[in-house]
Amino acid sequence: MKIPSLYVHIPFCSSICYYCDFPKVIYQKKWVSSYFDALKKELASFSLESPLFETIYVGGGTPSSLSLDELEELLSFLKPFLLKGGEWSIECNPESFDKKKAGLMFSYGVNRLSFGVQSANDSVLKKLGRRHCYLDAVNAVKSAKEAGFTNISLDLIYGLPLESEKEVENDLLALLQLNPAQISAYSLIIEEGTRFAYQKMKEADQDLLAKQYERICVLCEQNGYNRYEISSFARKGYECRHNLTYWHDESYLGIGLGAAGNLEERRYVNSRSLSEYLRQEGRKWETMPTLKDKLECYFLTNLRLSDGFSLEDFLRRFSFSFLDYFKEETDKLRQNGLLMVEKGRVHASSKGLYLLDTILMTLFCAKVMEE
Amino acid sequence: MAFDRKHIRNFSVIAHIDHGKSTLCDRILEKTGAVDKRQLRAQMLDEMDLERERGITIKLNAVSVSYKNHDGEEFLINLIDTPGHVDFSYEVSRSLAACEGALLVVDATQGVEAQTLANVYLAIDNDLMVIPVINKIDLPSADINRAKKEIVERIGLTVEDCCLVSAKTGQGIEEMLEKAVELIPPPEGNPEAPLQALIFDSHYDSYRGVVVLIRVKNGRVRIGDEIYLMAAGKKYVVNELGIRTPKEIPTESLEAGEVGYLAATIKDIKDVTPGDTITLASHPASTPLPGYRKINPMVYCGLYPVDSRKYPDLKDALEKLSLNDSSLLFEPESSEALGFGFRAGFLGLLHMDVVQERLEREYGLDLILTAPSVRYQCDLTDGTTVYFDNPCAMPASTKVKRVLEPYVKASIMTPGEYVGAVMELCQNRRGIYQDLIYFDDTRQVVKYLLPLSEIIYNFFDRLKSLSKGYASLDYEVDGYRESDLVKMDILLNGKPIDALSSIVYRPDAFYKGNLIVRKLKDIIPRQLFEVPVQAAIGGKVIARADIKSVRKDVLAKCYGGDISRKKKLLEKQKEGKKRMKEIGSVEVPQEAFMAVLSLEDGQE
Repeated sequence: MKIPSLYVHIPFCSSICYYCDFPKVIYQKKWVSSYFDALKKELASFSLESPLFETIYVGGGTPSSLSLDELEELLSFLKPFLLKGGEWSIECNPESFDKKKAGLMFSYGVNRLSFGVQSANDSVLKKLGRRHCYLDAVNAVKSAKEAGFTNISLDLIYGLPLESEKEVENDLLALLQLNPAQISAYSLIIEEGTRFAYQKMKEADQDLLAKQYERICVLCEQNGYNRYEISSFARKGYECRHNLTYWHDESYLGIGLGAAGNLEERRYVNSRSLSEYLRQEGRKWETMPTLKDKLECYFLTNLRLSDGFSLEDFLRRFSFSFLDYFKEETDKLRQNGLLMVEKGRVHASSKGLYLLDTILMTLFCAKVMEE
Repeated sequence: MAFDRKHIRNFSVIAHIDHGKSTLCDRILEKTGAVDKRQLRAQMLDEMDLERERGITIKLNAVSVSYKNHDGEEFLINLIDTPGHVDFSYEVSRSLAACEGALLVVDATQGVEAQTLANVYLAIDNDLMVIPVINKIDLPSADINRAKKEIVERIGLTVEDCCLVSAKTGQGIEEMLEKAVELIPPPEGNPEAPLQALIFDSHYDSYRGVVVLIRVKNGRVRIGDEIYLMAAGKKYVVNELGIRTPKEIPTESLEAGEVGYLAATIKDIKDVTPGDTITLASHPASTPLPGYRKINPMVYCGLYPVDSRKYPDLKDALEKLSLNDSSLLFEPESSEALGFGFRAGFLGLLHMDVVQERLEREYGLDLILTAPSVRYQCDLTDGTTVYFDNPCAMPASTKVKRVLEPYVKASIMTPGEYVGAVMELCQNRRGIYQDLIYFDDTRQVVKYLLPLSEIIYNFFDRLKSLSKGYASLDYEVDGYRESDLVKMDILLNGKPIDALSSIVYRPDAFYKGNLIVRKLKDIIPRQLFEVPVQAAIGGKVIARADIKSVRKDVLAKCYGGDISRKKKLLEKQKEGKKRMKEIGSVEVPQEAFMAVLSLEDGQE
């Protein structure tokens, strides 16, 4: 089987943001080379039929926190695995990104950068525990463009406590001025174990979140960004190919601390403990998925996309017709205005996208799922 | 292991809840060697997980052990453990009917409690030899003299035969057993007379059918005998007999004076009722033994499966459960909102709770219980009288002359400093003051007439919390009294939901209506559209709250393709959804139907 995508996790960060629950460790030079060794060993251990990927995504942590030398080692290790014409993304933080790193990445063939800007308001950035200020973000994007990057994505966090609709709008407008290819907007989630959780911070009220989200959708649309997934807005042709692999519920390989993978429909998650990972231990494989598990994963990924899934693709995968087996549920969801079936595709309505869990619950609890 | 009747002793242990009854039984099992110390789990006779978890005895349980006294004579002791909670006094009376004696356990640190009195009088009414046992003498706060004084003054027993023990350390247990075999008379009865055996408990075993626990009063029963259940009018052939030690030990026969189990491939649960008499088909006794007083349930509620397809399973489970819980009554009923289910009657709220948990745990059912209710009496204008325990069955107000509700005589024993708070609680619950008695130097008994419906809602918990756990409650039914009662309907999305109706005291209606709609608003999750929750009396809305519509329910992040966490969250949601009932197009969680039970927040 061909695996189209590779995810590489770089867990090092120069500081820890207050909301972050991703696998990460504070950057320490002494760990980096043994970590790279582990990555190489892990990739080799899968003994893939074809070690060439259509997309490579280097995420974190903060990949840009690596020094120039370290970055070059990583780039030269990964370069051979990218197919010609493939998409190669790297996540960067504004404070650890500069012209030199931009030039280095571009020269190795990296063609997409994703910046964790999060807000255009310096006091908000401080509250989130970010180390950069908005000017750093402006400069970083400028450096990237000067180095030759055209596919740049910016992350935005909304739904901070006490944040008004107007403040979110200002943040977004500032980001739009940087003219990125994509904007990803995530609402703040208070995750267990984070500093915010210890501070007993609460997520914003859902009525307010819905208003903020609607505003984001409208502004993005007006500026030529199409919502192709719940939280992703892109200019035409700049949708992230790597992320689409996830949303299409296709196979991908994940390597690195706490990385997740999906091989021939069987999923795994690596250990989040650095020492364990360096010993190449602690990977957890999910049990063989049942048909029900497979259907659940398919719905939960594909329905995040604005255009959902095609009836044809469903039939090819599961050898039965979606509309036959989920008729009652589909009818109910259509009546409620949450789901649409048109042009051979099934997708959430504009309203339904933000109520996706309701759609999923209805499908998951369908009678046919029990049989 | 054959014993003549002179060497058999049947006795039970009675005590107030928490006074160490089950621990004492453990110690007896250990002393008599019935249970190896290694096998001894705490509270051996509390078989149900539920009993061990809550530290209470719910079911009576019987074991046979042998005991050699100081003179080297060997005795067979049939020991019957009994529940201590007020809800289960019915079980106590059943076990007492199978005994000649009782050990009355009194906690040396607490003295005699109201519930102890009730059980002692049950024993005395049954002509049992009662031996007082003062327990927990190892504790520094033990006051043996006070306990003795109370036994004499409050119960009216003599204390020269009183035993001093510590069930925890084992101190005094030998002497206690010695005294028990000396003072408790051997069972009477004639092994040569026609068989009369009292069924005092039973349970269902999928291999053996119904297994009954019996006390043989007269005659003898052997394997192969054809028996006749006198009340049920059914015949069966005995294929198994034995005693429990607590391990089952098969025997060839059981005869007058003995306690043991009997199996006869009884497949139909309905044939067995505790209190029935077993005799021989070929040589029947002329009369049955006196049966049990049929006990009336105090509290009723609707029991419905969340998944309506599980109705037959619920029926089956209730039938099996009622086999060893004959105080559980049920009959089919249906609700517009909840579908087909049962109306069940219970001895009290704890009993209801226990039944619910047993149905869910032992039979794997997901249940919806409607709010508990008492049985109301309604005198109609046409001169007839009807009774109802389901609020929906209340006749239309135009036909009603007056409504009556059951009252109880409540005796609350409390240390003096909490008398004021106890009385305030009773006043708030529409109590009618009766008396205040000085029980001893430190404690007083507050007597009130209270509507039963006021006691079933959180009364006991309130009492315990306001008295730091010291006050105890005992009550007896005291007939019906007229009350100003109305039916309060709850409307969801404009439609009345029958399963949410309740009967309320009219002057409280406005206040309660407001509480309940606010409570429901919090319990019922947001729906796809805004849903008004209203309380209404006779079609007139008296309170309203709105459930907002859901605006966002999606985790906007699914990072690095790791969907496992997201799946876990959805899995949890799915479990929650399974426990919800879709009424109209509103999804209502189970707890909503019990919402009135937890209305006390901020009250009083």
